[in-house]
Amino acid sequence: MTPIITRRDFLKGTTAVVLGAHLARAQEPAAAKTARVVLIRHAGVLDENSAINPDILQGMLDEAVMKLLDESDPVAAFGRLVKPGETVGIKTNVWSYLPTPKELEAAIKRRLVDAGIAEDRIGLDDHTVRTNPLFINATSLINVRPLRTHYLSGMSGTLKNYIMFAESQPDYHPDSCADLGALFKLPIVQGKTRLNILCALTPQFHGRGPHHFSRRYVWAYKGLFVGRDPVAVDTIGLRLIMAKRREVLGKAQELPPVPKHIQLADMRHGIGTSDINAIEFIKLGWGEDILI
Amino acid sequence: MDDFGRSIPKTIGAWEARETDRVFDRTTLYDYMDGGAEVFLAFDFREVWSRRYAGPDGGTEGRELTLDIYDMGSPAEAFGIFSCDREDPEAGIGQESEAGFGLLRFWQGRYFVTVTAAGDDETSQRAVLDVGRTVVGLLGPPGPKPDLIGYLPAGSLRADRTSFFHSNVNLNNRYFVASENILGLDRSTDCVFAEYDAAAGEAGCLLIVRYPDAAKAEAARRSFLAAYLPEAGAEGLARTENKKWVLALRKEAVLVVVFEAPDPDWARTLASSVPSFKSPSR
Repeated sequence: MTPIITRRDFLKGTTAVVLGAHLARAQEPAAAKTARVVLIRHAGVLDENSAINPDILQGMLDEAVMKLLDESDPVAAFGRLVKPGETVGIKTNVWSYLPTPKELEAAIKRRLVDAGIAEDRIGLDDHTVRTNPLFINATSLINVRPLRTHYLSGMSGTLKNYIMFAESQPDYHPDSCADLGALFKLPIVQGKTRLNILCALTPQFHGRGPHHFSRRYVWAYKGLFVGRDPVAVDTIGLRLIMAKRREVLGKAQELPPVPKHIQLADMRHGIGTSDINAIEFIKLGWGEDILI
Repeated sequence: MDDFGRSIPKTIGAWEARETDRVFDRTTLYDYMDGGAEVFLAFDFREVWSRRYAGPDGGTEGRELTLDIYDMGSPAEAFGIFSCDREDPEAGIGQESEAGFGLLRFWQGRYFVTVTAAGDDETSQRAVLDVGRTVVGLLGPPGPKPDLIGYLPAGSLRADRTSFFHSNVNLNNRYFVASENILGLDRSTDCVFAEYDAAAGEAGCLLIVRYPDAAKAEAARRSFLAAYLPEAGAEGLARTENKKWVLALRKEAVLVVVFEAPDPDWARTLASSVPSFKSPSR
């Protein structure tokens, strides 16, 4: 059983319990790094109207994936993730208020083609992945979506992005979507995710209204998080959300209630690490207002 | 639900209805909203009628409005969903409302209404209010707030910060207490969360939970004290890390919890001002 996190944990300053998973583990001085997460930011990727510069975004993706895999060429880096002849599904997110940018989808697709994947064997889908032949037959998946808060699960990140693979989405809603990590064990998914990209070009740190969206809580962070481990990626993504909430909403509202699914994806489902000490976090590019 | 498709004008000012009107019920609400469905389902939500309006440019510049009318089953439930998420100034539409950043929210009778603009330019902001004013007259007469609101001590109550709900998901988004449901909240419980002026602009908070019976209220009190306030004695009072006080006491089938009290007497006075309850929750 995971420990109960209360408001008093924030008052005590022990919220690391949700950042770094288990306190006992977080107190270990030198945990081995088991996951790498790369954050890359570029001041010029968005203009004053939040229009995306596709060339800069392509460069950001390339540089981040190269760093993630210690490669010096983007095509070689993507070639480490997928092989010619494969069918690859790009699990995107089409939520109308804050979708995965088309420019980012195009950048991923371009590198998959460069790495030898036939264009007609690349799927790009969200709501119909369960019936899309390109996802049913996929041997590799790329998981990409924007970073935002979520009324029920606290945070929508790479873990929650796979809920469309579930036969019944409401089955994953109880207890603040505690068991989203189980999605990664579904046959259509298990063992296939090669890359997780959490788009933080314009993340959302708080929500309002029936659709939990308000432009006042979206800001131009101009970043991308990439990693092989979705739990590690979301663990770092949550740190950014919390830092922004602390800055704007105050310490008392630092944690969006309650993103327990990230910790449980590690502790209960074993699909990755939420132990902050076990994550090698690499920051590239623009550093202004980086927050984490 | 009333035939809003006929009664609500398809043209409001320079804004024209587009696409087909849609209706979602308790089983299909997930198809409509990502992240908010559970919040509505925690209330007595029946269905939502939704229509999109394209702006004066035909929507080509991204100007679009979405009108959502939620049948919440009763005025108490409509007030509840409205009350859990208030941040903006009153807009003077319906029984209570708020508007800001391209979002209008109000309740009238058993209906809760939102009008959402895709853009936050002045034209869209004005249109949001125009649509709200057009719709409110078609929603029928006003209705009463939940009876539980009447049990709140008056004093320094911040009336526009009062929320009514049933479930833990609503409490935690209003005032995060714990990651687990340590108060045993569900659709059988009625809850009011209120703020009171305390000192130097700070607020003390009062949570009243009405359970189906006294045994459930007592079990919740014990659970809360064990998880949140283990150092509390028989009175259920303790000082927390921010030097504020928390008090939990039971009155028959009702649990009263004071958070953020500046001193023990402030907490005791507020809690004791909550009158005794004659009947358990529904």
